[in-house]
Amino acid sequence: MVIGWGTGYDPLHVTPVFLRGLEDVSRLIWNPLCVQNLTGYLVKGALTPPLEEGKKIGICVRGCDSRSLVALIQEKLLSRESLHIFGIPCRGTLDVRRLMNESGLSQIRSVTIQGDHLVVQNDEEAHRFPLERFLARRCLRCRHPNPVIYDELVYQPITPRTAPEDAYRDVEAMEARSLQERHLFWSSELDRCIRCYACRNACPLCICQDRCIAETREPRWLTQRVNLPEKFLYHFIHALHLAGRCTECGECERVCPMEIPVTLIKEKLNQITRDLLHYEAGLDPEALPPLLTYNPNEAGI
Amino acid sequence: MDQSAASGALVDSIRIIGFLCNWCSYGGADTAGVCRFKQPTDLRVVRVPCTGRVDPLFVAKPLIYGADGVLVSGCHPKDCHYAVGNLYARRRLEVLKNFLSFMGIDQRRFRYTWVSASEGQRWQQVVSEFSETIHAVGPNPLARK
Repeated sequence: MVIGWGTGYDPLHVTPVFLRGLEDVSRLIWNPLCVQNLTGYLVKGALTPPLEEGKKIGICVRGCDSRSLVALIQEKLLSRESLHIFGIPCRGTLDVRRLMNESGLSQIRSVTIQGDHLVVQNDEEAHRFPLERFLARRCLRCRHPNPVIYDELVYQPITPRTAPEDAYRDVEAMEARSLQERHLFWSSELDRCIRCYACRNACPLCICQDRCIAETREPRWLTQRVNLPEKFLYHFIHALHLAGRCTECGECERVCPMEIPVTLIKEKLNQITRDLLHYEAGLDPEALPPLLTYNPNEAGI
Repeated sequence: MDQSAASGALVDSIRIIGFLCNWCSYGGADTAGVCRFKQPTDLRVVRVPCTGRVDPLFVAKPLIYGADGVLVSGCHPKDCHYAVGNLYARRRLEVLKNFLSFMGIDQRRFRYTWVSASEGQRWQQVVSEFSETIHAVGPNPLARK
């Protein structure tokens, strides 16, 4: 089986496709609307059948997705031998929700990419949108457009758009605010949270599944009550469980129905692990995430 | 949220949660008690087998629900009863310490430290200092929600 992207219910919406034979290959597509990180399907979800002896599973990955794969291999949740990785250098994917909101389009007939524009044809006319203006936030700060592991590279590697030192400018902008402003910001953002757990479900590294402590009764960390502290605690759970592991694929933020910038929380934790423990997640399959190990002669702590 | 102007009545109800490791800091606090060192009364102690048992969420949850401070104390690094528990804890707690203020929680409300079972004097000093800090920071604004 190969997991890739295919056209969804309209040409603007892409859906994951699971290719089971040669006849399915024509369903595969690749364009800036291929927004999903597919690696989660390898470790959770009933869609992936158990592998037969000696068989491999194919998966299409962009740069960010390949880092999720590395993180999963590091933690022995996947074995490299069981995978055949199609790596795709990616120039950035679109924030489809923002595109829909700002354009108000409906009845979409076809979508094509012409140079650096997206051309959407609906019943009346063709609309042109500059790709750059509708890129997702995660793509605007992308440092790894090229897959870090792959068996086959589909296109030529490209230059990253963001230098490593600029990757955390959103976090820095937030830190420039006062403590009280940050508190008010997160209170109003997280107050919108409906605890649908979409961010957790979309995250390829949130692998506790039925044992997630946000839902277990024993231990009972959270209740069904709807109030701000519970929402805060839920996002602390999600973020702290990803500290030093998150590869910043931005899926949590993309799937959030309430448009809460949840990836920003993980970005801060990654900035801390980078500065404090000199570690960047999802680059070296042999490395151990820093919070799963220790150093007796720690410097700077 | 003017913390410095907190009234005397509120300051009196300061609550600090302490997670102390069974082998060192809990013993240290006991030593301080046996030696009759005067200590602030704001601290509520939870005994844990090792600081390695302290999930960063143990710290986050009280702070989110309105505790005024959280203190974690264990064996000195390299003196852990379980050899390396506090070394794991050190990384986790340091990451958490740097993270709290990003979410709008004053990071002075959280402190971790190392106190051995014989260091009664040091324990008195740690608790007094931390308690003073929390009184200066004032009650947790999240408590009223």
